[in-house]
Amino acid sequence: MNKKRNKLVVDRHMFRLIVMIVAWMIFIAFTRFRKFYNLVNFQTMAAQFPEFGLMSLGVMLTMITGGIDLSVVGNANLTSILMAYLLINMTDVAGAIPPYAIPLVFFLAILIGATLGIFNGLLVSKAHIPPILATLGSGELYTGICMALTKGNAVSKFSRTYATTINNRLFGLIPVQLIIFTIMALLVWFLLSRTVFGTKIYMLGTSATAAKFSGLKTDTLLIKTYLLSGIVAALGGMIMLANYNSARADYGTVYTLQCVLIVVLGGVNPVGGKGKISGVILAIVLLRMLETGLNRFPKISSYYISLIWGGVLILVMVLNFFTENKRVRRKG
Amino acid sequence: MKKVLAMVLLVLVMVPVLFAAGKAEAKSNYEIVVVPKDASNPWFVRMKVGVDEFAKGTHHTVYQRGTPDIDATLQAQLVQDLIAQGVDALCVVPVDLESIEPVLAQARKAGIVVITHEGADLENVDYDIEAFSNVGYGAFIMDNLAEAMGGEGVYTTMVASLTNGSHNEWADAGVAHQKANYPKMTLLAAEKRVESFDNGDVAYNVAKELFKKYPNLKGIMGTSSYDAPGVARAIEELGLIDKAFTSGTGMPLDNAALLESGIVKSLTLWDPALAGQAMIALAIKVLDGEKISGVVDLGVDGYTALQFKEGSKTVLEGEGWIVINKDNVYDFGF
Repeated sequence: MNKKRNKLVVDRHMFRLIVMIVAWMIFIAFTRFRKFYNLVNFQTMAAQFPEFGLMSLGVMLTMITGGIDLSVVGNANLTSILMAYLLINMTDVAGAIPPYAIPLVFFLAILIGATLGIFNGLLVSKAHIPPILATLGSGELYTGICMALTKGNAVSKFSRTYATTINNRLFGLIPVQLIIFTIMALLVWFLLSRTVFGTKIYMLGTSATAAKFSGLKTDTLLIKTYLLSGIVAALGGMIMLANYNSARADYGTVYTLQCVLIVVLGGVNPVGGKGKISGVILAIVLLRMLETGLNRFPKISSYYISLIWGGVLILVMVLNFFTENKRVRRKG
Repeated sequence: MKKVLAMVLLVLVMVPVLFAAGKAEAKSNYEIVVVPKDASNPWFVRMKVGVDEFAKGTHHTVYQRGTPDIDATLQAQLVQDLIAQGVDALCVVPVDLESIEPVLAQARKAGIVVITHEGADLENVDYDIEAFSNVGYGAFIMDNLAEAMGGEGVYTTMVASLTNGSHNEWADAGVAHQKANYPKMTLLAAEKRVESFDNGDVAYNVAKELFKKYPNLKGIMGTSSYDAPGVARAIEELGLIDKAFTSGTGMPLDNAALLESGIVKSLTLWDPALAGQAMIALAIKVLDGEKISGVVDLGVDGYTALQFKEGSKTVLEGEGWIVINKDNVYDFGF
């Protein structure tokens, strides 16, 4: 019964997001058709959102457990800076890197991301620090390490092969960034909906106490969740490294809040226990389309972007409150 | 209902693929976008004033668009959006040189003209406009100091640090300009150059000590935007108003009181509104297929005789310096 209700609420959410996307697309179609509806624009958007889309997946996973991960950007930057240094070392005088370099940096990035994620997991599970504070602290710590390593400068001058490989398009059509994002999104979807691990973290998010008393190893679950979040964040960092052909301590500082916004907009319950990856992906698409679409209107100041995001977020939360309350009332 | 919506969504996504083919016509109306570091910094609000003014006087579509926050990634994405939109020219004031480089490369690959400002080290540009050459600006500061000093007396120079590239070039040029044009002025031999470390308090203390140590010292040429204002405080405190003088870079509103009270006669700066206009004018020239060589006249004050920086094929330097005095100090909004 309870599960069915959850499903209904989430679907309602999906419905709303789809309505918003369609409404926006129709509006753009009538006002700025040629400037929006062209292949290049869609390819650009598909190459832009994976970096913060990946980070959002991490925030989503932790939020399902009732936590949050505010260290995703710090994690991404630390990983990309370390990998940038490695790439510089591997770049030879002719500006080339050995063929194994790219798989190697991705492998190491996953390891680093996982380590940083485990650190968060330990803070949350073993030290019992509230996730919002634990990850805010670790995020600052990671950014601080970045600053100390780079003294605030950009790390670049590594072989361009890395950037051109990731910025490439498969068959000249699909951006590689989108492929990386899709693989990770499918993996997260699979974990959440087809494995025991997924079921367990939903249970943990619904009621930590109940989960504990029904014999779940909550500490291990939390550590695994933050580890996953760390990995996707690190991959987001690797995409930033390619998109900007450099790494720096303060790249993507606006992404932290943007990710939280996306995840809540996508219908993940901030208290935990509810939320689907499809909602989050729709929210990512909606946000990117809103921003890109708004950039088609020279007269509209970019200040409105923040205004619209804030407005949309509050609207969704208020709608949620009313629909959920109605159900509870009807039930009572 | 949900299925219907999903279908509509799918159709809307597919449409662009079909429409992507038919395009490309010859143009007489260019779309030129100025991308500043951000939209709210007063410096770039002033730039927008210039851009909007330019837009009124031309049949081309010209506008400025900035990100709500100053952030390298946001700026890069905005530029990417504009590339996808198919604008004709982009005039960018980069937040961060490294991260904008690959994006500007994408723009040029898409056939978009790229003009930058304060990005002399960028590679993927058609041209970069700098407000002035270091030599020209140094001489200009000296002219202002000499005017205040009445063309005679002992002076010295102040820089943020002796290792700062542009400040020392300005100071060197100022001294050379004095030797050539103001024979009655002499450089203080004992201390030819002092450091302020880009700090108003240091500038103030150093100046106080200098004036006490060398009673015949009549002027200090400042370079960093903290130098002249700091020196002015020392002049005021030691009661040397109208006996000792300073000039140098300075922001208008921060120093309005100093200028109005006459402790400082003039400060020097460049005007972002004009820099914005110069970028657009150059973009139009490039789009029109005009050859950019020799001395370039953009028809914008201070940018009528741009010259290529020595050894560079992309960096153009103007004479875009301006004097800020008590009459125009409130005209800029920063």
